[in-house]
Amino acid sequence: MKKIYILPILMCFFFSNCEKVVDIDVPSIQPKLIVDASFEVLFDETPVTANTVVKLRLSADYFEETIPTVTNATVFLTDLSNNTIVNFSDGNADGNYEPLNPFIPADNVDYELTIIYDNETYKGIATKVKSTPFTKVEQGDKTLFSGNETELKIDFKDPANIENYYLFNLSNNLFLSVEDRFFDGSDYNFSYFYDEDDLEVPATVEIKMSGITKEYFTYFRVLVDQSGQNAGGPFETVPSSLLGNMINTTNESNFPLGYFHISETDTFTISLVKKD
Amino acid sequence: MKKITILILLLSASIFSQEKYTISGTIYDDSSNETLIGVSVYFPELNSGTTTNEYGFYSITIPEGTYKVQVSYLGFSTLLETIELNKKITKNFKLKEETESLDEIVIESNIEKLNVRTPQMSVNKLTAASIKQIPVVLGEADIIKSIILLPGVTSAGEGASGFNVRGGAADQNLILLDEAVVFNSSHLFGFFSVFNPDVIKDIRLYKGGIPAKYGGRLSSVLDIYQKEGNSKEFKATGGIGLISSRLLLEGPIKEEKISFLIGGRSSYAHLFLPLFDNDNTAYFYDLNTKINYRINDRNSLFFSGYFGKDVFGISENFVNTYGNQVANLRWNHLFSDKLFSNLSLIYSDYFYGLTLDFVGFEWDSGITNYNLKYDFNHFISDKLKLSYGINNIYTKFNPGNIFPNRDDSGIVAEKLIDKYANEFAAYIDAKHKISDNLRLQYGIRFSNFTRLGQDELNVYQNNQPVIYNSQFKVYESATPVGTETFNRSDAIASFNNFEPRVSMSYVLDDNTSVKASYNRMAQYLHLLSNTASPTPLDVWAPSGRYIKPQLLNQYAVGYFKSLKDGDYSLETEVFYKDIQNRIDYINGANLVANNEIETVILNGQARAYGLEVLLKKNEGKLKGWLAYTLSRSEQQTLGSTPNEPGINRGEWYSTPFDKTHDFSVNASYDLNKKWKFNTNFVFQTGQPTNYPVGQYEIQGLNVPIFDENRRNADRLPAYHRLDISATLTPRKNKNRKWQAEWVFGIYNVYGRQNAASINFRENRETMRNEAVQTSIFGLVPSVTYNFKF
Repeated sequence: MKKIYILPILMCFFFSNCEKVVDIDVPSIQPKLIVDASFEVLFDETPVTANTVVKLRLSADYFEETIPTVTNATVFLTDLSNNTIVNFSDGNADGNYEPLNPFIPADNVDYELTIIYDNETYKGIATKVKSTPFTKVEQGDKTLFSGNETELKIDFKDPANIENYYLFNLSNNLFLSVEDRFFDGSDYNFSYFYDEDDLEVPATVEIKMSGITKEYFTYFRVLVDQSGQNAGGPFETVPSSLLGNMINTTNESNFPLGYFHISETDTFTISLVKKD
Repeated sequence: MKKITILILLLSASIFSQEKYTISGTIYDDSSNETLIGVSVYFPELNSGTTTNEYGFYSITIPEGTYKVQVSYLGFSTLLETIELNKKITKNFKLKEETESLDEIVIESNIEKLNVRTPQMSVNKLTAASIKQIPVVLGEADIIKSIILLPGVTSAGEGASGFNVRGGAADQNLILLDEAVVFNSSHLFGFFSVFNPDVIKDIRLYKGGIPAKYGGRLSSVLDIYQKEGNSKEFKATGGIGLISSRLLLEGPIKEEKISFLIGGRSSYAHLFLPLFDNDNTAYFYDLNTKINYRINDRNSLFFSGYFGKDVFGISENFVNTYGNQVANLRWNHLFSDKLFSNLSLIYSDYFYGLTLDFVGFEWDSGITNYNLKYDFNHFISDKLKLSYGINNIYTKFNPGNIFPNRDDSGIVAEKLIDKYANEFAAYIDAKHKISDNLRLQYGIRFSNFTRLGQDELNVYQNNQPVIYNSQFKVYESATPVGTETFNRSDAIASFNNFEPRVSMSYVLDDNTSVKASYNRMAQYLHLLSNTASPTPLDVWAPSGRYIKPQLLNQYAVGYFKSLKDGDYSLETEVFYKDIQNRIDYINGANLVANNEIETVILNGQARAYGLEVLLKKNEGKLKGWLAYTLSRSEQQTLGSTPNEPGINRGEWYSTPFDKTHDFSVNASYDLNKKWKFNTNFVFQTGQPTNYPVGQYEIQGLNVPIFDENRRNADRLPAYHRLDISATLTPRKNKNRKWQAEWVFGIYNVYGRQNAASINFRENRETMRNEAVQTSIFGLVPSVTYNFKF
């Protein structure tokens, strides 16, 4: 369930000018390898296709303007059911590694991602997580707090008797992680509200719904919290370090950040219009 | 061991009895017949005396003779009478307010003079009158905002009503309103506290040396008594402010026998919102009621109630309701002129409700308790006073109930498992004058907490609800391997604790004393909160199989000096406390709607130590105090095995309310009968926070990196502000029934933008990272009109 940051919103409601940008000296650390490998299998399309990019970066000081890319790593994926290997390469030298031959992750197979960088080996394992398609996506005409939000109404049918976790990518770097604990097996519908600062209508957006693991759900919930999307006010939760599922097998203490995950994903493109 | 010492002390006190008689009675305010708490009854020839208890009753047993007796109380004219004591006598006193003798409204002197002799230390008192003059934001007089000006007390942040005492957490404060526990002390998400200042008679804040009659919370006791109601004549008091207005009616139903009091307060800004075509709403109200029946000299009955509610709604999408309800029936009975008793039956309830239409659900949660208390005050001699009693609290916890709010919602109703607990305590406490120079207060409290059977209790492999995943270096929630079912009367877990309390004062000369105290306390309830300060949604959890009770030891020593005949006083104390079983949370812990709360909790410990200085000027046109606290408050969470890192690599880290320096000044100046001025200045070290050590991107989302091993290592900028207020009492008040005053105030005079938090995020337009400081109040002017007739 999305956490509702109503309190800071209330405060800003009553008292204007409550936010300002300040200069802060932040501490720094040795750069870490960042693995951004969220594979999406677009299962509801014919033919089925997949996004299987492994993005490798280094972490940077918080106020650095550019994030360094990693272009000289060795990247491959092992199908642990038969030990076949899929090699990845960074053809554009932009840190985005793609499989040499198009590849679609299969059901019920463990895949191991291996990255060799700077003489250290990093590994992580993922299995594709099943999902469900959208039943309906449409624009609504309600608003939330300011009265200027755009409502997006989302419907889908949750499979019964299984714990499901979903990640919604609502474009413009807006994410929402949802668990089915309170609507298991239902025809579930909810509304998402685009803030006017986050999305200017009219606009055409592509939204995605992915099935994810319980661990990735927790990870993403904290990630979204810490990215400052919802944060603010004295009611913010205590920030914590966020370790993913990749490990450094050469030097344990130099652990990487990021995640290797494979999901089934459905997409929907909608044109949102301005409403009064 | 402790018990034996008490016995010996008791015996030594009663062995030397000679021909002695008891004088006892009740002390009233002459104008209203309101009983007065803490009035000093003093026999100068004997250098001996006592004070009235919470119900205005006093009793003292002294040798036969004729004595002068001096009855004095803050803000009232001192009575001096001669008493011939040759049999036991009942003597009630009626004190006149100082103001009446002058036939003018003069604001009573609002600072209590220092009592160097009493062994009680670490306690602060404030009168309702002084609270009303302390300038506060938007002019709403507020108890909690006022006690924050005292040494050792800090605020959880602007717009947060929780407070922290001596480095303790906000859930470690026992807040009592007419002896009933109040769970949430705030209105409007913490902008105001729930206590209507017009209704309050007496407030005491115990920070240490906590007497044995209190228990259940570790850090402090805020003991608030409501007025009983004027039993002589009908009176109304009220005020009109920017945010809320209040009205208090009180009067006799049967003169000097039965009186009533009813006080209401409500915000009204929401009434104007529809004018601006705004369908949002935000309001609060509270209602205090009391009926008071003096049956005869030996028996009195009181019924009091408090009902408060907050409603906050944003169109139909979001509606949030929460509030406390307290009802309390008390019976005072005098078994003899030496033995006073009070029996209380208390019901207390806290409710939280939330409707989120856009996801289609409703939520409610809460906590309900039934409390039976039987307390005795036994005035054995002029040297020894005993208090003893028993207390039983039965509590039901509703951690949450989720259900669909409309037919097409798709939400499947779920009830989180209710929890039940019973807490029993028995205590005995002695106030003992060993010699003219040495006084002791000592006692012991025994507490038993039993977690009662619930429908389902989760069971975990190896009894471990939290598992450390050494591969990914994270704590993970275990999945229950089964559940156990209980009858309501079964005990899932039971805890017993002996809590000794000792305080002593040693008088060096008439104006100087040293005091020392030790108290041990147990707290069986835990507020689950992963935020910097309490929110109304925070959920309470009882100790049980997986969560252990918090246990505290506190040591304090102090030096107290009264200067220039009591015009000035200096109080200094140092304290040290340690707390076992202070919980913290695993990363990413979800505390709301979690049926397996034990799977996100790590057990740790806490400690705090510091120095407090309070310098007061009690007399004259210029009165006030200066308070300074230097302190440290830390927490440590070790792993349960040596292979686990715990939190912060198992090293000590600052608690979120660790404030190294806390300095405050409150001053009031009576210019003339018309004008009175008051000012505050507050300076505090910024609260601990976490700055990112780096950044990265995942799926286009820019994320700050926080370092696990430097928890709370950074600080927000220092907090400081200056407030002023002026009280105007119009001259035409003279000789008329309608008495009025205006209070004009400016909060944060120099408009300091104090940081409530600093957040790190990527700017949506520039796509560059920035640090954003949120401040809540800039300069806020206010005006309040108070009246009385």
